[in-house]
Amino acid sequence: MSAAIDYEAFRTEVRAFAETRCPPEIRAVVATYRKLSRKVWYPWQRILFEHGWGAPGWPKQYGGTGWDLKQRHIFDEVMAECDCPPQYHHGLRHIGPVIIEYGSEEQKGRFLPGILSGEDWWCQGYSEPGAGSDLASLRTAARREGDEYVVEGQKTWTSHAHEADWMYTLVRTSKEAKKQQGISLLLIPLNAPGITIRPIRTIDGWHHVNEVFLDQVRVPVANRVGEEGGGWTYGKFLLERERLGGANVAPALRNLQRTRELLARELGGERHRLKRAMLEERLLLAEAELRGAQALGQEAIAAVMEGRPLGLLPSVLKLGTSVTFQHVAEVALDAVGERLAPRFRPTDAAGPNAEAPGIEWVQNYMYSRVRTIYGGSSEVQKNVIAKQLFGS
Amino acid sequence: MPFTATPIVAGDAFDQASRIGEEVDRQLALIDDPAGQHACLRRHWDSLASLGWLAVAMPEEAGGAGGTLSDLAALAGGAGRGGLPLPIASACGVIPYLLADQPALLPGLAEGQHRIVFIPAEAAVDDTTDVPRLAPDGSLTGAVVGIETPPDPTHLLLVLAGAEPALLLLPADAPGISARHYLRIDGRPSADWRFTGVAVEPGWILGRGEAVARRAAEARDLGALLTCVEAVSAAGALLEQTIDYLLNRMQFGVALASHQALRHRVAEMYVEYENLRGLVLQALRAAGAGDGMPWREIAFAKLRLGEAGRFIAQSAIQCHGGMGMTEALPAIRLARRIMMAEFEFGDRTFHAQRLLEAGRRAA
Ligand SMILES: Cc1cc2nc3c(=O)[nH]c(=O)nc-3n(C[C@H](O)[C@H](O)[C@H](O)COP(=O)(O)OP(=O)(O)OC[C@H]3O[C@@H](n4cnc5c(N)ncnc54)[C@H](O)[C@@H]3O)c2cc1C
Repeated sequence: MSAAIDYEAFRTEVRAFAETRCPPEIRAVVATYRKLSRKVWYPWQRILFEHGWGAPGWPKQYGGTGWDLKQRHIFDEVMAECDCPPQYHHGLRHIGPVIIEYGSEEQKGRFLPGILSGEDWWCQGYSEPGAGSDLASLRTAARREGDEYVVEGQKTWTSHAHEADWMYTLVRTSKEAKKQQGISLLLIPLNAPGITIRPIRTIDGWHHVNEVFLDQVRVPVANRVGEEGGGWTYGKFLLERERLGGANVAPALRNLQRTRELLARELGGERHRLKRAMLEERLLLAEAELRGAQALGQEAIAAVMEGRPLGLLPSVLKLGTSVTFQHVAEVALDAVGERLAPRFRPTDAAGPNAEAPGIEWVQNYMYSRVRTIYGGSSEVQKNVIAKQLFGS
Repeated sequence: MPFTATPIVAGDAFDQASRIGEEVDRQLALIDDPAGQHACLRRHWDSLASLGWLAVAMPEEAGGAGGTLSDLAALAGGAGRGGLPLPIASACGVIPYLLADQPALLPGLAEGQHRIVFIPAEAAVDDTTDVPRLAPDGSLTGAVVGIETPPDPTHLLLVLAGAEPALLLLPADAPGISARHYLRIDGRPSADWRFTGVAVEPGWILGRGEAVARRAAEARDLGALLTCVEAVSAAGALLEQTIDYLLNRMQFGVALASHQALRHRVAEMYVEYENLRGLVLQALRAAGAGDGMPWREIAFAKLRLGEAGRFIAQSAIQCHGGMGMTEALPAIRLARRIMMAEFEFGDRTFHAQRLLEAGRRAA
């Protein structure tokens, strides 16, 4: 099958589309590291959807493109190279595929179209104050009452909850079983009575994440995906599918390229000669690492397409690329820090940061620290790698 | 017994400063609006002045305490430990140093009526404007950005570089001076200043010529040194708080502190912290021993602060997981403060360049 696909022609087609159809104001948001919000994402998803490219990773029968893995990878790469926003992932990449795999026909008909067109916005309610790396210890409880669940508990770090319509949520439906087995996956509308969403301010002063309190929230049993007690399996399925996320090194390379342009702009002239030389060297070392990661990413895609096991590649890619991304963010900070770090302020306080062009590099540096924390922290990735390497 | 950091300079002043710092940090965290935070900072500024902080390094004849560098370091260290978001290095150190030969000004400064902003010759200038310059007709034009200020500043102490260096003390409300005030990300009051044809009166010019430039460079190094003291003390507190967090946070049924990976990371933080502390202490001793500033020792310390301080701050964030990404914990506010300290009074390449150039001249 795949031998018949002309990948280079495909790449050209995607690039032409990205360059002509992605609105410049949306690309500018990406290029200047401004916050991607639903307001920015939605119109872009709409354009993709109308072109038939709403869901690159879904099967055709659900409105997906039916592309193979390599095409999907090329699509993601070109999008990053052209500063198009990566598609909003919570619906398309996370809960959508779970519904396709484990959801009822009714759920597919009800939820997939809104994800595809961008009408419905989803967020992920997994983590809790007491359950981070040890997610299986989550305590938010769902008690069955007739054909409803009554949900009681607290989620935290919930990205985008303040602009989402739905939260796919891991809840505990049984305390008797082994802790992984008592977990179920519920689809909860965020306008349900009993839900309170509170912003959490991150170190960059922005509002990315929230606390979500659930006080006697009534959720129809029909909103449970799959079996009661099957939530952990579905959650793992989701993580498995996401494991190739690290194979896309293009955003990191694009970031590196922007940083290189920044050095040229910011550090011209004799006064900055030393700084520029030192920072350029650090960028070059980072580029070498990213090139290595890119090569590994291609290897991972080939492995999946040929049905070979991925082994440790996803962990290697996540661990390595997240750290390299942080190194590049540090280079940028070092380039602008003296001039701009003292001007950086919480965005929604007194005045906008927009008065200081280039300030996004300071924010980007601070927020980049999250890369080694979420999506499987570096320590957890190292535990996974070491366990395999040592066979115990 | 878990680790407790040893102060760079221990004593009552250190204890008082760290207590006040913690108190201010705690109060600020409960206030949402910038105006309220500003009012809180102003209240504390006045109380610091009445406690005599601003007079610590001033000569006794001028109403000061006649203190030494070590007394200054005790205050800066305590302020750093407590996370006090006020410009202690410049208010207690740099400004009195530059005004030492202005007996008429010192009492007002000591008692806190004058709240002076220090604007170094190296201050950042935004793209659209130019460095402040004094025209032959005595008018001042230009702009500087991202300048830390005391709350409600009354005066600007401005160093002009270039062919004719000068030290100016301007009333903040002089015609032609405009400011945009804000609290920057680490909660410190700051402002961007613009000078549009400010008619500088002869009395506002405190000095001119090479001697001014030399003195200003020394003052900058004093600021860098005190900033190092502040940051290394913040790092000590951060280390304590990170250890405390890891001892108390349970995942997988055990405390995070039981994982060797995290214990080793903390051990590395400690090594970096001790190394930086040693260097800062040495610079402080050298500065106390002779006339002028031991610029070489200070440059090395500031260079190290860039590396070690960032490592410590980033490691603390990592060890805290998601909590490390929020502003909720004092520990993370300290981490952010340490990151910012690198960019004050010359970043690591600024000081690296000085060291390399001196090396080249000597060769
Ligand atoms: C900005 C942001 C956005 C997020 N978005 C979402 C979201 O949308 N939905 C959601 O559900 N969650 C979200 N998360 C949560 C994220 O997944 C968790 O922060 C992450 O799982 C880590 O958990 P924790 O914060 O509880 O840290 P902890 O688990 O408390 O970890 C603290 C430290 O201990 C280390 N550690 C933990 N266990 C071990 C071990 N066994 N060995 C060695 N070291 C260990 C960790 O690596 C880390 O350094 C987000 C987090 C952030 C910061």
